[in-house]
Amino acid sequence: MTAAPAGIPSARHLRADLRAARRAHRTGGLGDVLSDLYVVALFLGMYSWAAIYESREYLRSPTAGHTDPDEVYWIAVAAVPAALAFAWHGLRTVGPLLVTPTMQAWVTSSPVDRRALLAPRFRALGTGMAALVAALGGAAALIGGAPATGLAWGALAGAACGAGGVSLSVLAQATRGRRRWPRLVGVALAIVAALVAASVVVAHFSGGSFPRPAGSLTVVVAIAGLPLAVVALVIADRALRRVDRAALTAGAPLANAAAEAVVLLDPTLLAGLLEGRRWRRVGRVRSRRFLPGGRWWVLLQAEVRRLYRSPGALVAWGALILLQYAVAVAVPSVAGPARVIGAFLAATRLTGGLRTLTRSPGLRRAVGGGNAAVRLVHLVVPAAGAGLWWLATAPVGPVLPAWATIGTLLGVVFAAYRAATRAPLDYGGAYAVTPFGTIPVDLLRQLLRGPDVIAVLVLVSYLLT
Amino acid sequence: MDALTVRGLSRNFGTLLVLDDITFTVETGRIATVLGPNGSGKTTLLRCVVGADRPDSGEVLIAGHPADESDPGQRSMVAAALDDIDFFPDLSVVEHLELLSFAHGHAADPVEEVLTELGLDPARDQLPATLSSGQRRRLALASCFVRPRRLLVLDEPEQRLDARGKAWLADRLRREQADGTTVLMASHDTDLIDAVTDLRIELGA
Repeated sequence: MTAAPAGIPSARHLRADLRAARRAHRTGGLGDVLSDLYVVALFLGMYSWAAIYESREYLRSPTAGHTDPDEVYWIAVAAVPAALAFAWHGLRTVGPLLVTPTMQAWVTSSPVDRRALLAPRFRALGTGMAALVAALGGAAALIGGAPATGLAWGALAGAACGAGGVSLSVLAQATRGRRRWPRLVGVALAIVAALVAASVVVAHFSGGSFPRPAGSLTVVVAIAGLPLAVVALVIADRALRRVDRAALTAGAPLANAAAEAVVLLDPTLLAGLLEGRRWRRVGRVRSRRFLPGGRWWVLLQAEVRRLYRSPGALVAWGALILLQYAVAVAVPSVAGPARVIGAFLAATRLTGGLRTLTRSPGLRRAVGGGNAAVRLVHLVVPAAGAGLWWLATAPVGPVLPAWATIGTLLGVVFAAYRAATRAPLDYGGAYAVTPFGTIPVDLLRQLLRGPDVIAVLVLVSYLLT
Repeated sequence: MDALTVRGLSRNFGTLLVLDDITFTVETGRIATVLGPNGSGKTTLLRCVVGADRPDSGEVLIAGHPADESDPGQRSMVAAALDDIDFFPDLSVVEHLELLSFAHGHAADPVEEVLTELGLDPARDQLPATLSSGQRRRLALASCFVRPRRLLVLDEPEQRLDARGKAWLADRLRREQADGTTVLMASHDTDLIDAVTDLRIELGA
């Protein structure tokens, strides 16, 4: 390490200086921020409680269908590593510690102590994630009908997972070189989730049993996880000084796009960036000549190549099959509607070509041909994918008349088509003034393009089963 | 003493090799220019040197030490203006520069002098949203001069500068050289390259 120059201000001093300068130009005050936070917390609390209460009541009611409590327990256990794998992937994708290009250029590039500069973010993130996952753990215990002690253990286990996850991901950020362990953590969690879920499903359909353990896994996770989380927090705090610019700035564009997507209600802003990153990771492919044929035949070959060059879409497609089986075992009463939603999600994983063409007028012009024909050829893969997915989940779907099955499948493909051909959002459409406030009707119409068809199909599915 | 050594540096995106075994040395007080067509990896090389990107193999030595962006001493030695710079929307031009100068312990040229030299004096109280692209470029360059530096890394510094601006840039780089600062830059401007370059580093040749 080279000698640090003299006269460098402390991180606290620099932050205070920056805050003072920015405050001088700001019109809103702390009161505005607190008011906004209050409204968000109020609505979040109300809707979360309603969701927990209704879910618990539904699972206890006869309409939930007959289920084996042991199997439901293990499916819930499988959901935990699956959720952790998603959270781990999210944390690793954004950082979790990140600085914007602005902060990097004007603050973080200075020789000010990096650990002191990052420590408040790390502590806020660790506390926030611990609180969030603790709340989720408590909510899961409540939905499962656990007593007060079970709720407390669920919250403690959640806090341990949240704080530990953030600490480990910061340690991964501070790791130099291209170490494989951060990736292996996510893969291992996903594999554990898939193995547990698959074992329960196989046991269910083969008539075997899958008894729950004598003790509580939640208590084990809480007791073992809390000290580990504290140790990880301390080690990660010490590792903050090793987090470098490359690690700090990598997730900033993604966080920025996510924020824009939320503010503008347009998920395509985030999806576009993620897609770009995915193809950048691939880098170079082996180019091969297309088999001779007409325009449509060549476009279809391009679609298939896109599919095998992005195997993540196929993995998600397959994971949705397992999810459908798990839902059928845990909550058989919703297996029918879940199958419709699952088929839609599986089909949309395969609509990359259609989305690209819709969002790029230049590419669309270059391809030539009529609109309807071009879109139709890009529907072949999603339609085949939806059909195969439907067949693969047939054993756990409700028995429907042939016309209803064909109608539902066509509806699913139509919904995937509508979602993939959604144009960029237009915010200047019609608004309806109602006694409950102004409702952006046209914006809702655009946002619900695709899911609107699925909502109708789910309703029909309920009526038919 | 060598100010910058790059040894066997490689960087790939997936299976695409962007930089392949790049090796060069820049002595203290010399100006090195990275040359090459679009897509040859000039910006990626500069990003690896300043620690904004990590090479897949090879090493970067700054003043004889392995490059480590998390080292405060190295951060005070390396000033860079790459294309990823951004601005606080609610801070004026002069406030940006004062903030950076303060963060570096007021150890370089006074902010007022830099403002005047870069022709940003009339825009000193403007917020970034009101600046032209040329003024934003000048502010990015100014950020390098209000802080101490032993190695200056610039990615196409001539971009968006008018003829007078380009002449000033050449003069400024020569003065940096005279003060013992080492410069590594990427450029497509043949006049600027011919005027200041001591060492040409060809990529994608």
